[in-house]
Amino acid sequence: MRDALARAWARQAIALTTLVLLWEVCSRAGLIDPFYAPPPTVIAMTFYELFAGGTIWEHIAATFSAALLGLFGGLLIGSALGFAAAMVRPLADVLEPVMILLNAIPRVILAPLFIIWFGIDLGSKVALSLVLVAVLIFFSVYSGIREVDTRLVERVQTLGGGRATLLREVYVPSVTAWVMGSLKVAVGFAFTGAVVGEFVASSRGLGYLLSFAQSTYNAAQTLALIFIIMAFVLLLFSLAGRLERWLLHWRYA
Amino acid sequence: MTSTAQRRKPKPLSERPVPYDPEADPPERLPGSPVVAVRNLRMRYGKAEPVIDGVSLDVASGQVVSLIGPSGSGKSTVLRAISGLHKPDGGEVKLSVEPREMGFLFQDDALLPWRTARQNVALGLRLRGTPKAEAFREADRWLARLGLSGLEKRYPRQLSGGQRKRVALAQVLALRPKLLLMDEPFASLDAIVRHHVTQDLLQWVEGERIAVLLVTHDLEEAQALSDAVYLLSRGPRARISASYPIDIPRPRDLIGVRGHPTFAPLLQRIWHDLSGEVDQLGGGI
Ligand SMILES: Nc1ncnc2c1ncn2[C@@H]1O[C@H](COP(=O)(O)OP(=O)(O)O)[C@@H](O)[C@H]1O
Ligand SMILES: [Mg+2]
Repeated sequence: MRDALARAWARQAIALTTLVLLWEVCSRAGLIDPFYAPPPTVIAMTFYELFAGGTIWEHIAATFSAALLGLFGGLLIGSALGFAAAMVRPLADVLEPVMILLNAIPRVILAPLFIIWFGIDLGSKVALSLVLVAVLIFFSVYSGIREVDTRLVERVQTLGGGRATLLREVYVPSVTAWVMGSLKVAVGFAFTGAVVGEFVASSRGLGYLLSFAQSTYNAAQTLALIFIIMAFVLLLFSLAGRLERWLLHWRYA
Repeated sequence: MTSTAQRRKPKPLSERPVPYDPEADPPERLPGSPVVAVRNLRMRYGKAEPVIDGVSLDVASGQVVSLIGPSGSGKSTVLRAISGLHKPDGGEVKLSVEPREMGFLFQDDALLPWRTARQNVALGLRLRGTPKAEAFREADRWLARLGLSGLEKRYPRQLSGGQRKRVALAQVLALRPKLLLMDEPFASLDAIVRHHVTQDLLQWVEGERIAVLLVTHDLEEAQALSDAVYLLSRGPRARISASYPIDIPRPRDLIGVRGHPTFAPLLQRIWHDLSGEVDQLGGGI
């Protein structure tokens, strides 16, 4: 088992190294145009410059604030609405179609509207990221409650449990499992919202730097920024994974 | 308070006196006082034709009553009505025990997946106000009694089907119910474990003189454990089409009881009647 894992890692490392080397060689030899795909060493230099200048941190902080605020706001609002809809039938009749519609459209098209409403600062980015996350979480919680294992509900009822017990022993844990299942997707969505929002209009953030790099046709900087965003999302993924393992320890025990 | 707690503590099976001695026991502990009386029960799901219609049966304290019948005839539905999970569409269920004095062992072995074996067993006790530490001790005792020592901290997915079933049984027995409803409780156990658990349960039931309504598809098991067997007819609108009193003295031994002179003939009769119900489906099962 561990051997298999180690071998898989080794294979991935070899493949990645080969790819990077190949890229470097091809780019230097002129086989691929460095204008479009600058060699990895150049991208690495750009990386260094971005961080050495120090200003990148301000942009990272801006994107992170927007993404995290959107993530937590979305989790909170999505859960609250999902819970309310599952509990109060008339509310579900109203909320469900709205959520289905919001789910069906590519929600990033709301970005221009949010910029008009909330300005080009943090607010519009948080709003976009929040909407992306909230719709996802709404459905997790809503279906988590509605599709709860009725056998467990009956079990707890016949053991003498009332509503509060059902909530604590059955609904909350099973909804937690559902929400944790979409947590990684939610992290991705939160960053999508923040970066796309910045991309559309802003004066700060990684999305802003990206759109700037793109407008000057700076492929090296664009790639470097993409890698930075990837690195941060991966970091949050691993945190989300840890949280999931901790909350759902009964699944991994 | 203390005396109640003392009295309620279950004795290990081996230490319990030989149960059921009508001469020695005070009359109110004798079988006979009805615990549940079902009268003309009609049950339906939604707008469909009633699943059962006109079912009547009684279970008295100290009595084990089995309910058999073709699959899908409505046996589980009868238990659901008695447990209060489903409201009757007609007729009534008269109980002389509190709802909290009822134990329901379901057909499947679904436990709370996010709770350990110990926490699952302790849940019902906790809901009855037992402090956590005491509930856990009691849970461990019951788990040990059902041969699950050392598995207290396992989650359901870390247990085998038979072990989960026994945890579910411990969960119900730990509440020391006065009426025990069981829905094909041992179907998933392998032969040896099944024998032990059943024998254990038989001894427990005879010792505690509780009322048991058992749904089973195992006719031998039904006869070996019961004081009466009811046959539910093929649904829809199933009703009790026959009942068979079983006069084999208690305490019984699960193996020995099969040697009783009335056992084989009655088994044959019940089997014949049940086959009749199934045959009406139009040729076989
Ligand atoms: N929740 C339900 N909704 C609709 N029909 C049901 C439900 N539960 C059981 N039934 C139907 O009621 C009948 C009796 O079911 P059940 O009581 O489970 O039978 P048994 O336990 O004897 O096998 C079956 O025909 C079954 O399809
Ligand atoms: Mg059934």
